[in-house]
Amino acid sequence: MTPEPESATPPEKADLCLGYVPLSDCLPLVAAQQLGFFSEEGLRVSLKAEASWASLRDRLVIGQFDAAHMLAPMVLATSLGLGGWEKPLLTACVLNLNGNAVTVSRSLYQRLQTHASHPVYGLAAAQALAELLRHDATPLTFATVFPFSSHHYQLRYWLAAAGIDPDRQLRLITLHPAQMADHLQRGLIDGYCVGEPWNSLAVAGGFGHIVATGHDIWQNSPEKVLAVTADWAARHPGSHAALLRAIHRAGRWLDENRRQATALLQDVIPVPPRVLERALLGELPLGPEGPARTLDDCLVFHRYAANLPWRSHARWLLAQMRRWNQLQGVTVSDADAIALACYRPDILRAAVGSGALPEIDEKCEGSHTEHWILDTRAGPLTMGPDALIDGIVTSE
Amino acid sequence: MPDSNTSPLRVMLVDDAPARAALLEQSLSDCGYQVICRLDSARGLLYQVEQHRPDVVIVDLESPERDVLEDMSLLNHHHPTAVVMFAAGAQRTDIERAVRAGVSAYVVDGLDPQRVSPILEVAIARFREYQALRRELQETRNQLAERSLVERAKTLLMSQRQWDEKTAYHAMRKLAMDRSQRLADVARDIIAVLELTHDDP
Repeated sequence: MTPEPESATPPEKADLCLGYVPLSDCLPLVAAQQLGFFSEEGLRVSLKAEASWASLRDRLVIGQFDAAHMLAPMVLATSLGLGGWEKPLLTACVLNLNGNAVTVSRSLYQRLQTHASHPVYGLAAAQALAELLRHDATPLTFATVFPFSSHHYQLRYWLAAAGIDPDRQLRLITLHPAQMADHLQRGLIDGYCVGEPWNSLAVAGGFGHIVATGHDIWQNSPEKVLAVTADWAARHPGSHAALLRAIHRAGRWLDENRRQATALLQDVIPVPPRVLERALLGELPLGPEGPARTLDDCLVFHRYAANLPWRSHARWLLAQMRRWNQLQGVTVSDADAIALACYRPDILRAAVGSGALPEIDEKCEGSHTEHWILDTRAGPLTMGPDALIDGIVTSE
Repeated sequence: MPDSNTSPLRVMLVDDAPARAALLEQSLSDCGYQVICRLDSARGLLYQVEQHRPDVVIVDLESPERDVLEDMSLLNHHHPTAVVMFAAGAQRTDIERAVRAGVSAYVVDGLDPQRVSPILEVAIARFREYQALRRELQETRNQLAERSLVERAKTLLMSQRQWDEKTAYHAMRKLAMDRSQRLADVARDIIAVLELTHDDP
């Protein structure tokens, strides 16, 4: 059994610098700062916005940041030495579930409509795209934010679920989140998968259509995590635990105070509040016309044990990396060891108390199509569904 | 200094600080490089690279284009392009760490023109070395994979047609020549067909 929080361990280091990329899901760090949760833990935190995921990672690796708001697969990729640096990183806290969407240009949307018998949404939208690609050789370009990102794997998963080979039938490129909408509007790309508010911005601007959310592709999937280097975690267990408690508390506050959350986000992202609030309030207009889709789980910061870094999440991400040939030269047992080393639910339990958190580290991803109940020491915990768009259940 | 017998290295500068970019462009020209394009990060780097095909891209460490460049250079989806980065006030240890990590990225302290040229040279040399290694590794992998495909097709032919090894191999080679295909591609087709009909008597 995991012990209850060790309130006795003071932070080894109180002045901490945390990096983030301005996106709706950096809110747990912003809220913990603005609401004073960090300072109540005895921490003096400075937050620094980064312009790229690469520089965020570099600064974490070389020690300019103590911790960072990071793409979940980047923790695994950096620990495996893929893409430049090789440095053991770990996460003890998922910052949010969901928050991404696939957006296509207005003209692509209109072409998809001619190939669809259903509304152009979800799996049907990917199937319409597959049909379009069979009839029309015009090359299409889709963008994601980084080669090692949930966006990249979600987009590929959605495409492949309709039988599209993303490497042969499309061109996939990397773009900075804030450049996506602009590139779509200028006709340089035909679609993208990105986090909010950059989907809603294209919809609000009248030049983009959301055709699937990340939640449609894999329900309640992990998005950003709080990443630290393994060295840092070993040297600063008290500071780490204090950070985790503050962020865990901020997540709970964010789930309960969505309008105030929008106000906090306004200071971070130069996008009108009426666009910022869409995902936070779970009312997501899909296109310039037509009703909004109500999606309560559009962005989840706390409920469903959202902060627990499930090892089954790490395995799913590693499986996608292998599927798309990013793990060449990495054995199955090495990848498995990375999942255990990088995803540390035990550290979160030790920091915030294991009572209200699941006692298990893995769940059967894809097997829960509805809400379900998980027993914890503090009583039954409502968990969210975790089905995949093609109905596949990962083996336990 | 670049070799005067070859064409000058074509450099693309990405910097949101125009004054700094102008200064760097001047010192690069003085060192014999050709700065083919100077742009800020809002211009869509990928398309600019495709259009201008530079040998080297120099980018500010703080640029949002870094993720695009990392995808381009490390994952090699597009044209191989060495990437050099600079940032004022960077620590010497940062440079060393970046170099040790094998990233073709170098952080230049300030913009001393004297230092730009050697850093470019080293960055490009290391990048080419890295690309050559990658290519070699990929070729070895491909060769191994192709050899095992051919072996597998041959074994299937031997067992299903009751041929000896030589007959099976010659049949495959003839098919490859007739169809102007590579032996590995023919092997792949044979495996697909024979595995499909495997249970037939």
